[in-house]
Amino acid sequence: MAEVKTKSEVVMNRVAIVAVFVALIIMLTPIYWIASTAFKPRSLATTVPPTVMFEPTLTPFAKLFVRRSQMREPVEQEVYEAAPWWEKLIYDDGENVVRNRRSGDITPSGYADRYKNSLIISIISTFLAVSMGTLTAYGFSRFKVKGEQDWLFFILSTRMLPPVVVAIPMFLMYRTVGLHDTHLGLIILYTAFNLSFAVWIMKGFIDEIPKEYEEAALVDGYTRLQAFLKIVLPEALTGIAATAVFCFIIAWNEYAFALMMTNRNAQTAPPYIPSQVGSGLPDWSVIAAGAFLFLLPVAIFTFLLRNHLLRGMSFGAIRK
Amino acid sequence: MRERSRRLFHPESDIVTDVITRLEPDSRAASRGLSDLTIRNLFIIPTIAFLIIFNVFPLLYSLWTSFTDFRASTTAPANWIGLANYRELLNDPFIWRNFTITAKYVIISVTGQVVVGFGLAMLLNRAIPFKGLVTTLLLLPMMLSMAVVGLFWKLLYDPSFGIINYFLGLGKFEWLADPQVALWAVAIVDIWMWSPFVMLLSLAGLSAVPKHLYEAAEIDRAGPFYTFFRITLPLVAPILMIAIIFRTMEAFKTFDHAYILSSQPTTELIAIRLYKMAFLEWQTGLSSAFAYIVLIMVVAITNIYVKYLNRAKAR
Amino acid sequence: MVLGTETAMQLNWEEIEMRSYACRLLAGAAVLALWAPSANAQELTIFWAEWDPANYLQELVNEYEEETGVMVTVETTPWQDFQTKAFTEFNARGNAYDMIVGDSQWLGAASEGGHYVDLTEFFKEHDLGNVMAPATVKYYAEYPGNSGKFWAIPAEGDAVGWSYRKDWFEDPEEMKAFEEKYGYPLAVPETWQQLIDIAEFFHRPDENRYGIAIYTDNSYDGLVMGVENALFSYGADLGDYETYEVEGILNSDQAVEALEAYRQLYQYTPPGWSKTFFVENNQAITEGLAAMSMNYFAFFPALVNPATNPNAENTGFFANPAGPDGDQFAALGGQGISIVSYSDNIDESYKFLEWFIQDDVQKRWAELGGYTAHAKTLESDEFRNATPYNEAFYQTMFKVKDFWAVPEYAELLTAANQRLYPYVVGGEGTAKEVLDALTEDWKETFKKYGRTN
Repeated sequence: MAEVKTKSEVVMNRVAIVAVFVALIIMLTPIYWIASTAFKPRSLATTVPPTVMFEPTLTPFAKLFVRRSQMREPVEQEVYEAAPWWEKLIYDDGENVVRNRRSGDITPSGYADRYKNSLIISIISTFLAVSMGTLTAYGFSRFKVKGEQDWLFFILSTRMLPPVVVAIPMFLMYRTVGLHDTHLGLIILYTAFNLSFAVWIMKGFIDEIPKEYEEAALVDGYTRLQAFLKIVLPEALTGIAATAVFCFIIAWNEYAFALMMTNRNAQTAPPYIPSQVGSGLPDWSVIAAGAFLFLLPVAIFTFLLRNHLLRGMSFGAIRK
Repeated sequence: MRERSRRLFHPESDIVTDVITRLEPDSRAASRGLSDLTIRNLFIIPTIAFLIIFNVFPLLYSLWTSFTDFRASTTAPANWIGLANYRELLNDPFIWRNFTITAKYVIISVTGQVVVGFGLAMLLNRAIPFKGLVTTLLLLPMMLSMAVVGLFWKLLYDPSFGIINYFLGLGKFEWLADPQVALWAVAIVDIWMWSPFVMLLSLAGLSAVPKHLYEAAEIDRAGPFYTFFRITLPLVAPILMIAIIFRTMEAFKTFDHAYILSSQPTTELIAIRLYKMAFLEWQTGLSSAFAYIVLIMVVAITNIYVKYLNRAKAR
Repeated sequence: MVLGTETAMQLNWEEIEMRSYACRLLAGAAVLALWAPSANAQELTIFWAEWDPANYLQELVNEYEEETGVMVTVETTPWQDFQTKAFTEFNARGNAYDMIVGDSQWLGAASEGGHYVDLTEFFKEHDLGNVMAPATVKYYAEYPGNSGKFWAIPAEGDAVGWSYRKDWFEDPEEMKAFEEKYGYPLAVPETWQQLIDIAEFFHRPDENRYGIAIYTDNSYDGLVMGVENALFSYGADLGDYETYEVEGILNSDQAVEALEAYRQLYQYTPPGWSKTFFVENNQAITEGLAAMSMNYFAFFPALVNPATNPNAENTGFFANPAGPDGDQFAALGGQGISIVSYSDNIDESYKFLEWFIQDDVQKRWAELGGYTAHAKTLESDEFRNATPYNEAFYQTMFKVKDFWAVPEYAELLTAANQRLYPYVVGGEGTAKEVLDALTEDWKETFKKYGRTN
């Protein structure tokens, strides 16, 4: 089939390429708009009509990391002259940096700390959800479990209750056991959120891996565990990659619980990004800059896994 | 009674004994390394125990509060009021409107996601240059946080500042101010954001459909429709079904972007009403009852889906 | 599946062991909790929303630290979640915050819920009823209405005012055309009728210019705040705050007229003005969309800053105009500062409040950008001339009215949103029908909570 392409096949392929290109443009326009707003001066973020061409600036990124307030009087000339370039950008944009009274140092905005927390929490919880999910999926896929369907449905159902309602009991529970405002607390929370998804997707993938592979391995003297590690896991890599991407995205962007369950220590970035309302004008370019920087780790992670994602499931060889 | 209450609080003990009692006679590798039984228990029990421990308190707590007039904003004790909350909810015309709006929204958005997502997967399953990069780029929308998506789409839809009307030449078309259009506008955002999810899972299924099946179909001179419905779809169905199950469950819970985008009564989804009830009005008891009604509906719908899933797998 | 007796026994033991372990854990936690505050009693935490005034407050409290050595931190959270976070903390009887700068509507819920320390004695001792502007005391501090019980100290005064485009108003050609059409000169509106005329006059969709920007967001109190501005100035009220009577007050003729006026203003808003609050309304001025825009005073600093508002030089401000009978009121925003009952540092907090209410501190608070409610500071020429909007703020702060502050205020708000929004934005029904229906809703709510029979 690869070499002998019919004429219609060639045409179809060209059509597909054009269609994918069109889809890319449509899907990416909003993303492009966010990314470009991140490099816009504040005054060009919302204009009538929208500004498409502009001279990019780094001001939004400088502002993202520093605590600022509305400038009420122009900044003193000496202070301005002595300031580093990024601080000047902030002054030029009509805002003052908030300084520590005692040391006179610039106070950070909290974005960097929150970003770090987000990384720690998302990476660990994704790892936990994916590994536990894979093991459990394998268990359900290969062994007889009494009431299998019910257990699987129970696992699925843990995602059904609207989060608004579990928020209060969850909050009380966390308070009591001391998980409130800890990294561990959020890691456990996100692992639990993602587990149902991980189990179901991984079961979908592992079900399609022919049992005969393992059985042949067992006959060859592998232990069950070895067969799982050496035969099943490599075959399930697409599923693992897809699950990891999804779990990471969910944990990375979670908003409501991150807000309720944290105070100072374990705050994550998502609640911070849209909060740039300041004095009654949203700083669209800073919001965009925050969102843009926040998109990078997931995008890179996905890009690194792209080949695994595209390899496909492993059904077929034997199945008719 | 005591027996039952203990089982309620220690359901994990059930599965422990469950699993132990069902010995597998054909555990071939039992003599070498860990037995199948041990592996099965080791693989399954921690997950289930963890989920039970984690969820049992919130579930029971909200079930209990759903029968009380509890308000989480006060320290006043809750009073047992029986089914009064459920009665109040089922008699509230505004609540029924929330349900119909949500049903409409779920249908529009999940259908849209399946059509767009599966369509994209079909396209990507061909010889597309830079496939890895293209796929990653197409996945970008779902990597953003819901709140950011809501804020920016509000900007994009804006008749004055927005690029949608500007690029499409729609003038002052009011996406969000028109009560009839607003729900579609909210659903479009959801479709934009989550089609990539369906796309990725479908793609995993599609790219593994063995070529020899298509070759055989070609020899039989089967038409493209026959090939699609008889070969492609059945093989991809199980994984597509899982995608649909999860998207439906999530669509029922849609909150952030809908809340940010629109104030219209025609877009007041269940989750928005629930949020207002629970966290603005602090009617904790009433909102728990509401949530349980929603839970029962979602369980029922998901059950139907799972039945289809199992049928698709059996094929 | 039935458990064997043996297993049950075992479970029982496990349960007991678990319980004693949990007890030990809890005891440990309690000991820790007792230890922690005494270790850093020289620290206070104030909770507020994330916005500029919180930065100003941090600057102010830094001075307290210099004087006393007590470190005060202003902790913030985004506006949209401020209320949720505060009350979940209260509900858990958390000691994370010593003081809170809470919204005026919370007074009922927070005082009846036992979350706020009763400040009545403190109020009397320092004669705060006269030190602070009387209207602010009434709405930021006292609950229930006229009960003489005080729960907060007015901290950040705020109300709804108006900004407008001076250059549009002062354009000679516009002035001429306006006078020809309406028979009186174009100037800052003094009545709601003039407000409507001017909005109509400047409403020119073809030129991408629109008459007016108003609040329409119904997800919390935006829309209702906007409607209140009309309602109060037309001489109507939301009800009797002492007797909970609403019939004939909320649906009075004046109220109907006021709601119709608000609906009329909606006709002159920019396109897509269906979910707008302070952000959009400020944007209407900065992007040159509207001639006039309603907003909280707290958000006006951004409009006089040339870096954030290209039209800063041409932006003016005025207080909410009077209604047909000369009544003139504005909807109240702003917050009072309260001591949280569950704080470990209540005495320290009292000391802080004593410092905060001093004349010179309040003056400093105003200088830093805070909207003081301190009567003497408000009345000083220095304050009134400090910014282009301070005069309008001063005028407004002596004639403000607020929404209900009962614990169930949010339910009243929901009902109001459900009834008002379809009329104001969608033009469904008549003002009379809407207000009658809302009156019924509110009566039912008050009955439900046993406030009326």
